Amino acid sequence: MKQYVLRRVALAVPTLVLVSVIVFSMMRLMPGDVVIRMVEGHAYAPTIDALRKELGLDRPAYLQYVEWVGGIVLRGDFGESYWTRQPILDEFVGRFPVTLELATLTILVSVVIGIAVGIVSAVRQDTVADYVGRVLAILALSVPYFGLAVLVVVLPSIYFRWTPVWTYVPFTTDPLANLKIMIVPALVFGVTRAGPIMRIMRSALLEVLRQDYIRTAWSKGLTERAIVLRHALKNAMVPVVSLIGLQMPLYIGGSVIIEAIFRLPGVGLFFFEALTRLDYPVVQSVNLIVATMVVALNLLIDLSYAFLDPRIRYR
Amino acid sequence: MTRRIAMALSLVGLIALVSAPAALAQAPKRGGVLRIADREAPNLDPHLSVSFLTHSWANMVYSQLVRYPHGPEQKHPADFSIVPDLAEKWEHQSPTVLVFTLRKGVKFHNKPPVNGREVTAEDAKYSIERFMARSAFRARFEVVQSIDVLDRYTLRVTLKEPFAPFLNHLAASAYLAILPREVEEKFKDFNRPEAMIGSGPFMVKSYQKGVQIAFERNPDYYVKGLPYLDGVVIEITPDSAARLSLLRAGKVDMGHMWGYMVPEEARSVKKTNPEMVMTPVMTVASGILYFRTDQPPFNDVRVRRAVSLAIDRKSWNDSLHYGEGCVDAGPVPCALKEWKLEASKLEPAKAKYLVGYDPAEARKLLAEAGFPKGLTVPMYHWPGYAPPWRTYYDLAADNLAKIGVTVEFKPEEYGKYISTTYLGKFEKMAMGPQAPGNEIDDWLYSGFFPEQPHNRSHVGDAELNKLLAAQRRELDPAKRLAIVHDIQRHLADKAYYVYLPTSPQYITHAPQVRGFKHHDGFSLGHRLMFTWLAR
Repeated sequence: MKQYVLRRVALAVPTLVLVSVIVFSMMRLMPGDVVIRMVEGHAYAPTIDALRKELGLDRPAYLQYVEWVGGIVLRGDFGESYWTRQPILDEFVGRFPVTLELATLTILVSVVIGIAVGIVSAVRQDTVADYVGRVLAILALSVPYFGLAVLVVVLPSIYFRWTPVWTYVPFTTDPLANLKIMIVPALVFGVTRAGPIMRIMRSALLEVLRQDYIRTAWSKGLTERAIVLRHALKNAMVPVVSLIGLQMPLYIGGSVIIEAIFRLPGVGLFFFEALTRLDYPVVQSVNLIVATMVVALNLLIDLSYAFLDPRIRYR
Repeated sequence: MTRRIAMALSLVGLIALVSAPAALAQAPKRGGVLRIADREAPNLDPHLSVSFLTHSWANMVYSQLVRYPHGPEQKHPADFSIVPDLAEKWEHQSPTVLVFTLRKGVKFHNKPPVNGREVTAEDAKYSIERFMARSAFRARFEVVQSIDVLDRYTLRVTLKEPFAPFLNHLAASAYLAILPREVEEKFKDFNRPEAMIGSGPFMVKSYQKGVQIAFERNPDYYVKGLPYLDGVVIEITPDSAARLSLLRAGKVDMGHMWGYMVPEEARSVKKTNPEMVMTPVMTVASGILYFRTDQPPFNDVRVRRAVSLAIDRKSWNDSLHYGEGCVDAGPVPCALKEWKLEASKLEPAKAKYLVGYDPAEARKLLAEAGFPKGLTVPMYHWPGYAPPWRTYYDLAADNLAKIGVTVEFKPEEYGKYISTTYLGKFEKMAMGPQAPGNEIDDWLYSGFFPEQPHNRSHVGDAELNKLLAAQRRELDPAKRLAIVHDIQRHLADKAYYVYLPTSPQYITHAPQVRGFKHHDGFSLGHRLMFTWLAR
């Protein structure tokens, strides 16, 4: 087990180096010039040259790369935004709780809905309940979350002069006010993400329910409740947990639009604004931090399999 | 008789009684916090950012040497006459020497490290020099040779040559915020909320990044009794649909810090919220088709004239602007009334290439230029401009197809568009909006003089160049206006740019907002110091 973890951590290093190289080069391959973007139409040559020098963009790309990575590795310095001139790490740390809370609530909503509907669908296979559940899952899959978000924000304002959008309050300041603001975006995002979880849950549970040990359980005279929830569900969870793990970057990526529409000052919005402004250091560093988190999270998810299915061994 | 008089008197009394609340309602009232939904400024240092958001926020907090008239002072939204701000008077000692006399007793906000000390000529010198050294707009003040502090309240600015736009540039809120030096010494720059210390009408109360910025009334503002508002809160809302729903739901008083709303959106809001106050105004902006006039086929004036004659401006304005826009949109934009020489005052034979619609002549001109079967041209553009720009591109292509010009759309991502096409780096033809500034020089010199970044059509016209340079040097307003009129006469039939009808903006706010008058530019603080709330 210890060896497995060490090997996985060692393997993460080349992955992250690759991510850093790809993000660094992709930003520079993007059309447009950050310096001209910053001065918009006022692009007089002396201004541009001075600004390029100030931002260190006049030096060769490989030097810029080494300096960026060197700063992170040696000093834990993720650089400064070209636009706001504020340290990226500070801003990331300030904004991360918002995205984390949104992602947690979204996962909670999608898992509760997805697993509950998935179980009912599997246990009551080919009944009305199953059909309704499957139709709902397809509907959730096919409605884009950003479309649903805009509808939820715009329609009540037109018909009822009410909107769920209001000023963000941190959880630590006022938990109730915070949840009132977070619940609608989490529901919108969570419902649309529940679809795939429900489908995987249903098929995984159906497969487990047909296995020998479940038949044994039935023959022992256990109740349906005990068989499904205590014996089958845990084993059927492995692919569901993998799916949630795989969807993790999606929660961060999707938070961009949800955060913009619901006025949540999270990492997604920070990243998106940086991308549209060609703010290289922000896009690079946020990408790298998120990639590190995804790698770590996936490792944790892989380790959780042993808890869910004791037959799994790590070598 | 007496009865009649008594009746008449009581009638007058009754009228007075009925109209009294209306009259009272017009008297500005102190107090209240105005709520606005808008985007976040990328940076707070007014000299280090060119963003209109930064400058609008900065204008809440900082004063300038001179400013434009606002609220009850202004004649119209594009009134760019100069009124005193920190400088109570100024005079030209010679065409190149300007002496400003500063007001006595104006204080910076009472916050550390400045602690409410008096604003002096040293602060003005420091600010102009910092701007010239660091701002991306520094080219505006390249003409400055030296700045001397003559005494605590007197500043002398010496220019390299006479420069008519100078006072206007000083008054534009995008440029010269007067900053206290000790703040930079303490914080390195002005890019943090606690460093936003000026002598303007409002002070920063709190700033939560990505959430909201709150301003409070400056109790020591040098204009006694202003501002009327106790505070202003900008709810940071990046998404336009969310901004609109906040306005519709009554959670904010304005869905945009200047109140902007395009005509179509305004009509839809009027249906759901008939109480909204909406005032249509023409802003200092225009839409253009621009060309590589240094390369074929657009180096041939006949091809450019054909393109201009192909644009059916009246139908365009009727169908997309509900007939409320302006069709005589260039080279001087409709809103700059004082400088504009209307097409109706130009020679009709020339003016038709500016505002006329004649597809038959357009086809004839193309045939004469060697394109009897028409031609295919690319149209570089950024599709993301606010509606109805996407429709504009289609409509232009449709109009051009009718004279045999096939348009190949070349949509570009914003970063690419703004750093290439917008600066004249494109092939053959491009299209988009422009709003280079509110000084007439921004529209003429910048748009037509060789090597200027806004000379997107690559104009190089020796006769025009002389006029462009002359209007900059002419300090007598009447003589300068005559030159500007000559420039418009000269440009009438050249079709270096093809001007498209301009749409008005509907300045929209909740009914309780009073005294808010639109003024072009980024002067949010000056607009809001005359604004008050009736609730």
